[in-house]
Amino acid sequence: MDKLLYLISEGFKNVWRHKMTTFTAVFSLFLALYFVGLLAIAGENTKSILQYLRSKYKIEVFFKQDIEYGSAKSISASILKIKGVRSSTVINKDDAVRIFKDQFGEDILAILGYNPLPISAVVNLKRKSDQLLDASPIVNEIKSLDGVEEVRYQGHLIKKIERTYAKIMKYFPFMAMVFILVAVLVIYNTVKLSIFARKDLINSLKLIGATKLFIQMPFIFEGLIDGFLASLIASPLILVTVNGINYMMNNFTSWNIQLSIAPILFLWLTLLSGIISVVGSYRAVSGIMK
Amino acid sequence: MIEFQNVSYTYNKGNGVTNLNFSIEDGDFVFLIGSTGSGKTTLMRLIYFDLWCDTGKIQVGDHNSELIRKKHVPHIRRNIGMVFQDYHLLNDRNVFHNVALPLHVMGYNANEIPYRVEEALELVGFEGKRGHYPDELSGGEKQRVTLARAIVKEPDIILADEPTGNLDPVAAFELVQLLETINNNGTTILMASHNYNLIKGRGRRILELKDGAIRGS
Repeated sequence: MDKLLYLISEGFKNVWRHKMTTFTAVFSLFLALYFVGLLAIAGENTKSILQYLRSKYKIEVFFKQDIEYGSAKSISASILKIKGVRSSTVINKDDAVRIFKDQFGEDILAILGYNPLPISAVVNLKRKSDQLLDASPIVNEIKSLDGVEEVRYQGHLIKKIERTYAKIMKYFPFMAMVFILVAVLVIYNTVKLSIFARKDLINSLKLIGATKLFIQMPFIFEGLIDGFLASLIASPLILVTVNGINYMMNNFTSWNIQLSIAPILFLWLTLLSGIISVVGSYRAVSGIMK
Repeated sequence: MIEFQNVSYTYNKGNGVTNLNFSIEDGDFVFLIGSTGSGKTTLMRLIYFDLWCDTGKIQVGDHNSELIRKKHVPHIRRNIGMVFQDYHLLNDRNVFHNVALPLHVMGYNANEIPYRVEEALELVGFEGKRGHYPDELSGGEKQRVTLARAIVKEPDIILADEPTGNLDPVAAFELVQLLETINNNGTTILMASHNYNLIKGRGRRILELKDGAIRGS
């Protein structure tokens, strides 16, 4: 028991004794955790960002001039039945005049003396789909309905957004793996270097009859402390960064996107840094002791 | 007892020791002399199993080089005190903690450690400065601390590899006297040195190494 307590206390003391190496190890661990954390948050929020963008997709359907409001409503009901359509809202001729005035500042009735605007409908698409969203088949189906004069939609923009999302989803796991691997290697090598700097200590301990476990234990405890300190610094900074991004998006852009953080992420980050530090310490000490 | 039977060891780049045959009885004080590169350190490393002989057999106490495994080495070393020319003290801890280290390794009770450390430091004549760090000590003081660290675990054998190499003549003389005092308590001592003037006329057995072989005893 005395031995175990001694080894644990040595782990803590080593952090203090070797302040510079501790600082280097904790700093590189923190940087790696910070970026891995942000990457994880980006990955987690990609879908919600896409859903937000999809909520902005809209198809405008203009009905024939002679069509009655009731017929327009029944065509709108048919549109709603099309796969991929979330909502369809009919805009009558009077509403169209009001919208025109809002958008262009002119009263079309006063200018022309009559209302040339047709009854129309605004169609929104379903957003919760993992598949690439293609609006063209929906548009074609709407066009084929009797009473529909013209259909307008942001075809090019939708295609661009959907393709970008598809690309991100395709390469994201690979990018994340590369990034995590780089972070792991950086942490691992920093831990290794900090231990190599104390080669003399290891050799002296060997000479006085210390077992491999006795030599490794304080380094492993030290690695755990370093890992914990790094996650203790990285976690609030990730929180501050994400809150800052949310604040900027809400106050300086028209995007109504709120990035979310799963609390378990912090547990994962702590575990990640702890495991890498411990494995790095263990392997470095073993390497020197060979 | 330390016994070498036809022991040879060659480094990858050559040199080493060749066909060593000698024995040191329990409680003996033996000097090992020879010029630099004659194989003194190699012989010492073979005794504390830092090197494993290519041929022959080494017996250190109850341990036979043909039978022991690497995992046994730490336990064998706990019975061997070592003193080196370059001290091998840990600069990041003070005198007290340097001397206490072997006791922690051996799992001594925390209450017993301060008492044993004090005793060892007293024996080597190191008064005060227990809280000092190695960097703050003179060469002679450092070597006394190293010796205290070697004897604190009450080993059967002390190996001193050129312990006076970095000391002035007075400090070197005092260190040999200290080793003799320790030897009077029954500890076997093997001290390597290339300073013949320091060891001559002490009535101790001298092993002379030349080019890795024993030339005289």
